[in-house]
Amino acid sequence: MLGRDGWAGLAVLTASLVLFGLTLGLEGNPMVPIGPGFYPRIVLGVTAVLAAALVIADSLASKRRAPPRGASDYGLVASMFALFGLYAGALSFLGFRLSTLLYVAAANALLAPPRSARGWARVALVALLTTVVVYLAFERYLLVLLPRGRWTGF
Amino acid sequence: MFELLGAGLANLMQVKYLVPLALGTLAGIVGGALPGVTITMTIIVVLPFTFGLDPLQGLAAMTGVYVGGSAGGLVTAVLLGIPGTPSAIATTFDGHPMARNGEPGRAVWLGIWASVFGGMLGGVFLIGATGPLAAFALQFGPWEFFSLFVLALSMVAGLVESSVLKGLLSGALGLVVTILGSDPVMGRERLTLGVPFLEGGVPFLPVLIGVFAFAQIMSEVERAGGVERAAQGAQRALSLAASHVKVLWEIVSRPFLVLWASFIGVLIGVLPAIGGSAANMMAYDQAKKFSRRPEKFGTGIPEGVIASEAANNANVGGSLVTIMAFGIPGDAVTAVMLGALTIHGIQSGPLFILQNAQLAYGIFAAYLIAHLLMVVILAVGARWMLRVVTVPKAALFPAVLVLCTVGAYALNNTMANVYILLTFGLLGYAMVKTGFPLAPFILGVILGDQIEINLIRAIMTDADPWLFLTRPISGLLIAASVASVVFALWQHRRQQRRLAQRADGDADF
Repeated sequence: MLGRDGWAGLAVLTASLVLFGLTLGLEGNPMVPIGPGFYPRIVLGVTAVLAAALVIADSLASKRRAPPRGASDYGLVASMFALFGLYAGALSFLGFRLSTLLYVAAANALLAPPRSARGWARVALVALLTTVVVYLAFERYLLVLLPRGRWTGF
Repeated sequence: MFELLGAGLANLMQVKYLVPLALGTLAGIVGGALPGVTITMTIIVVLPFTFGLDPLQGLAAMTGVYVGGSAGGLVTAVLLGIPGTPSAIATTFDGHPMARNGEPGRAVWLGIWASVFGGMLGGVFLIGATGPLAAFALQFGPWEFFSLFVLALSMVAGLVESSVLKGLLSGALGLVVTILGSDPVMGRERLTLGVPFLEGGVPFLPVLIGVFAFAQIMSEVERAGGVERAAQGAQRALSLAASHVKVLWEIVSRPFLVLWASFIGVLIGVLPAIGGSAANMMAYDQAKKFSRRPEKFGTGIPEGVIASEAANNANVGGSLVTIMAFGIPGDAVTAVMLGALTIHGIQSGPLFILQNAQLAYGIFAAYLIAHLLMVVILAVGARWMLRVVTVPKAALFPAVLVLCTVGAYALNNTMANVYILLTFGLLGYAMVKTGFPLAPFILGVILGDQIEINLIRAIMTDADPWLFLTRPISGLLIAASVASVVFALWQHRRQQRRLAQRADGDADF
């Protein structure tokens, strides 16, 4: 029975073998006789060997330590990742200002759910301040052109 | 050298450089004081603000963050017993008991002044050693550079605490990232996996930002509330009054301790990716071993605070040496600085100090001045620094992630970097959860292209692969790589055996 390390090693082993297979289809170049697949094959070969060693070491481990039990909130982590994914996707459609305002408000409310109207007002204020300060600092002062929205036009 | 340093100091005294340096130092102190926000995260947040600045302004701000961050962690470590950064962990051992014994001002100022002494000694090494080491590295051919980068990677992978195998695999995974997208020699597409944003290769800054920022923030989110609860006592105002003469005397009357702790800090800084967290612990351990009263350590004695703080600031000087002389980042903070150099089209490595003397000595000057600014900022604001830890993480983390997004996007105004940020954020968190160390991975991503370029160059110059072993410096570096891995394996085995013996001993009773 494989443990956490074993499964991680197996995943890396599979990925490196698949990529190794893909390097075999890379065409050579007359300018560089070694070819673009030479170095990747070494790296992927080493990675595969190390991953296989991890799988073997894990399966041979006689005493497996139980994973530490703590009050980990993985649901919150997953929600935060999902929210950031939505934010990254929304940037192209809603633009920086609107999507940042919504993202900061949503993430803030997710991490510390407001329990009163005052709490919601604080969330809105933090979102507005973050958006305005970052926008002004980068667009106006540092001349960084932040993403514009296809739907909103700003 | 002294002329250039004098010119650098005079240059840095101009308002246009002094302001970013002071703001960077302040940001570093605040970031360092915030538990759960490391110097790496602070410098990642500061990075996008430096895009519009000239190279020296940007690097001065970053140097300020690095120096300030190394000292900022001590305030919360001493007053709350919560190290603001991992580099202040050992400071809590004696700093906090000293504060609890009714001497918070003495404890904080011992830490601040020890940081200054350690930092200045690190500065002497930085200024004195960078040039000669860079001149030595100029003799290197592609064989030596290849072997040097392999040594850096194997050392980092071998020195991780958890598992040597995982460290090596993590470094190899970092190298895998660099083979995706494009071939660095001819620029031809390879292994894009049909993903359009991989066509140009994977830029290392979004990877670095994603891996570190998400791994850290999500780990904090996972155990939400812990930091807030610990910081509840931070509201009260404290008097940090202390006699500076007495505090300074306590430090200068222990010259061996200061020198030895600083030496350890510099040495660990020079070794890639070990960082201030190891430096302060090791210096504390050494101080205890050399002390005539080791039993007093942990009860609030000055030696513990001095050793820890002198080492973690001297560590900054050591880290800067490796990046400026060899182009190898000593830790994640210098990796971001390397990225900032790249953004401005400056190539780090042995030629850096020759081709950019003004910039290099500007960084040295910024390093020295940042220590003085740190003292001024902490003298004015140390008592208010405690209130910083009461900033709600729920408001802070989304803002940090927005700045990370802007930082990744603004590198070349493309959304592809934001997607890379998210992808590697997920990977970074997964690596932390599966116990894979991040430092070798990042070093692999940073050095991967250079390893490939130098390998190809070496083979194209002479196809004989034995040259990697028969050229003296290259052979020595390869031997050191093998030795570092063997040593790490031996050390790991020994530790496992001791743990097993201890477990057996416990079972007997």
